Amino acid sequence: MRTDVMVYASEALMAQIRKDLSLEQAMNVATLPGIVGSSLAMPDIHQGYGFPIGGVAAMDCGEGVVSPGGVGFDINCGVRLVRTTLEEGAVRPQLRELVEQIFRDVPCGVGGAGFVKIGARDLDRVLVEGARWMVKNGFGEQRDADFSEAGGALEGADPAAVSERARERGLPQLGTLGSGNHFLEVQYVEEVHDETAARAYGIFRGQVVVLIHSGSRGLGHQVCTDYVSVMNQSMGKHHISLPDRQLACGPIRSEEGERYLAAMCAAANFAWANRQAILHFLRGAFQRIFGGGARLDLVYDVCHNIAKRERYEVEGRRREVLVHRKGATRAFPAGHREIPADYRAVGQPVFIPGSMGTASWVLAGCEGAVRETFGSVCHGAGRLLSRTAARKGRNAREERDKLEERGILVRSETRDGILEELPEAYKNVDEVIEVVHNAGLARKVARLRPMGVIKG
Amino acid sequence: MGPRDFEVLEHPADIGFRAFGGTLPDLFAHSALAMLSIAADPGAVQPKGEYPLAVESGDRESLLVDWLNEVLYWFDGKRVAFRDFRVTQFRETAIEAVGVGEPRDAARHGARLIVKAVTYHQLKIERRGELWVAEVYLDI
Repeated sequence: MRTDVMVYASEALMAQIRKDLSLEQAMNVATLPGIVGSSLAMPDIHQGYGFPIGGVAAMDCGEGVVSPGGVGFDINCGVRLVRTTLEEGAVRPQLRELVEQIFRDVPCGVGGAGFVKIGARDLDRVLVEGARWMVKNGFGEQRDADFSEAGGALEGADPAAVSERARERGLPQLGTLGSGNHFLEVQYVEEVHDETAARAYGIFRGQVVVLIHSGSRGLGHQVCTDYVSVMNQSMGKHHISLPDRQLACGPIRSEEGERYLAAMCAAANFAWANRQAILHFLRGAFQRIFGGGARLDLVYDVCHNIAKRERYEVEGRRREVLVHRKGATRAFPAGHREIPADYRAVGQPVFIPGSMGTASWVLAGCEGAVRETFGSVCHGAGRLLSRTAARKGRNAREERDKLEERGILVRSETRDGILEELPEAYKNVDEVIEVVHNAGLARKVARLRPMGVIKG
Repeated sequence: MGPRDFEVLEHPADIGFRAFGGTLPDLFAHSALAMLSIAADPGAVQPKGEYPLAVESGDRESLLVDWLNEVLYWFDGKRVAFRDFRVTQFRETAIEAVGVGEPRDAARHGARLIVKAVTYHQLKIERRGELWVAEVYLDI
């Protein structure tokens, strides 16, 4: 190991974390060339592939490496929170109609294609312009792109670095949610913990909001697959040997590293375009049920699988590092110039989805994150049960009825989509939030309760 | 596709499989069917067409990962569903096969989980008595 591993957790969470390979994986990350500071583990950490999920690693931009597995197969998987002008009481009587309408209008894409029909040349523009291209072409409002991390498009994307295969997989999937833990949830604001920040974000108690969790679909998965292979073949040339092949990496300053980063930025932009298309279809669904009176505005959009060049003070000097966030969310504090002006006084909004039966959180980034965790916090509750264990002895219809009794309607394209994502399969999100709040990485702003869930 | 051709393995966030085969070509064919059975139902696919597949790689382990990624690309990118694979050429670093199947039809083939990718996580190919055994984890 070149450095130590720093874990943010409570005693209870530590006991759960020790049950899988996540700490060993965090130790493997600590062996990567050019790692700066500690290999960091957030309280939602769980076993992944190569890197743990809920891990953060900063690499020196001069001597460090970039690892496609350190970003993950779902490049720029992320969440966007949408606020509405409706309150819970107005939505509840029409909730079933709303959930059905969204389920029709926002395809999951498990079995088929999405509704965005664009050509190969348009795809090149999407890969460069991200959410901005979607907005320009009728899939949203200008404000949507402005209120996304990086303005909904990372600089440095090169469509030529994205393979034909990645394009082929991605093109028909633009505007689809995906399966696994991806979802779209209609929620209401149950508690407000920080009135000032909530006001800045346009959030109030009883308000209906929508949380969208999706990523770069087949395009991003193929980009990662392509470059894990490239890195595996070139590691010998760069004299890199690793404890786990899934960590495959290359120097940031190498042809392989630069090409991966150009392709990763393109895939990240595709993901922002994807979430933008989903927001556009969501607006249509709300309009069909509630008429023109219902307004939907994007609060913010954050990614939690990404590598980004950022500057931090490390051991007394300012350094440029490539921050790998694998299942971790950027959390910049108040005053940071990369936050939209409307939020700059309170800090960047961070969204932490819990499980479909419990709660999700809105947080605000704090100074502690910049000092200790390269501007990062957790990204979810973290899984507790495997998918097979979650399914065992359970029946999808019964579980759906149980959730319905608690006021949560679930619509899923697949039977397993419900069973594998049950609340019991996840750690307690509130406990994860307590850790980042008490550690001063981000502070609680609001707790959101699910009402309607659409899943792949 | 028989019950002893493969079984599903647990992973905290994702899913894997353990495949069996009397020979390495069988092992590779059963591994591909194991992966496709996590995504849909290969048994419901009609043998209407034959699709040639060829992969080369650096060693046996990466050949298995690259082979599965090839099948996944045909499934997710070219949207072809397979019910069987006939391996026609095989060596440690190269495989040629014919996939038997038809264009995907979610209504008939079913839809389970979207497989994002094949990983090197705890990847294993080993001989156990008379059988070859492979363990592979998928990102879903």
